[in-house]
Amino acid sequence: MNTPFRLDDHKRRAQPLAPPPDRYFEQLPARVMARAQPADAGGLASTWGWLQQLSAPVRSALASAVVLGGFAASFWLTQSAPVATSGPATVLAAVPQAEMVQYLLASDQRVTLTDLAELAPAPSGMPETYLQASPDELQDALDSQPSDEAYY
Amino acid sequence: MEDQEILAKFDDPAARNVAFNQLVRKYQQKVYWHVRKMVIDHDDADDLTQDVFVKVWNNLANFRRDASLYTWIYRIATNECLSFLSSKRRRFFLPLNDVGAELTTKLEADPSMAGDEIERRLQKAILRLPDKQRLVFNMKYYDDITYEQMAEITGTSVGALKASYHHAVKKIEQYVTEDSVRN
Repeated sequence: MNTPFRLDDHKRRAQPLAPPPDRYFEQLPARVMARAQPADAGGLASTWGWLQQLSAPVRSALASAVVLGGFAASFWLTQSAPVATSGPATVLAAVPQAEMVQYLLASDQRVTLTDLAELAPAPSGMPETYLQASPDELQDALDSQPSDEAYY
Repeated sequence: MEDQEILAKFDDPAARNVAFNQLVRKYQQKVYWHVRKMVIDHDDADDLTQDVFVKVWNNLANFRRDASLYTWIYRIATNECLSFLSSKRRRFFLPLNDVGAELTTKLEADPSMAGDEIERRLQKAILRLPDKQRLVFNMKYYDDITYEQMAEITGTSVGALKASYHHAVKKIEQYVTEDSVRN
């Protein structure tokens, strides 16, 4: 029968497992430093390092000013933005022409004489600027047009 | 160099890197072997040791100077080990025994085990302990850490640690004895 194992009787090894590769502990500090301080951390620290030089109250005040400035800037930009984008003319212009014609034809609304009467009269001299014809020629042209309507 | 000197140096931005380098050199072997005995594999121990010191670097500025730097670093290392083993189980949905079996396989491949049958059985017996009990056993048996320091590291009472160590020794002795009878 085997003798029961007693831990106190066993010679304790300081390190029970195989040692790490050669020079492992010489290189470890440099590897740890490389991980603790990545390459870009230096650049970042130099860019924002001046913040660390400020006292905590000054840093808090600076942060508050930046936040308030951001709000003020966004408010100012909102107020000065053009508002024409939501006007009725813009909305109407966005309606496709085909749909507009369809709507007008389907609608009971027609242009009435009252509507025509309210139109601003054209300047009397206007035809002279683009019609290269004498009044007699114009009258003849109008008389030659067929008329199916009779007005009483 | 004393811990207080290292910490005082670390507070000076111009000497911070030098101080941290000295800190790593002072504690690297203790941390490495503490971790290595828990995870067995050198590559895992290497990764975890670096993780421990990166955490030390990131948190040293907030470290309470009235506490012991030694136990604080050990606590970080202990938590890293437990997280590593726990995440290994979660990742592969492994029960407790399977991680122990994996660690035993790695142990069998360790060249230092060749030719020393009792030592090999002892290490296998230690690997059969639950993680936290194994930590307690390693800290007491191999690292000679006092129960008071262990209480600081693990956040457990001295009485509970003594009981845990006592039970661990009994389990190990029983396992090695039975293993010797079987073989």
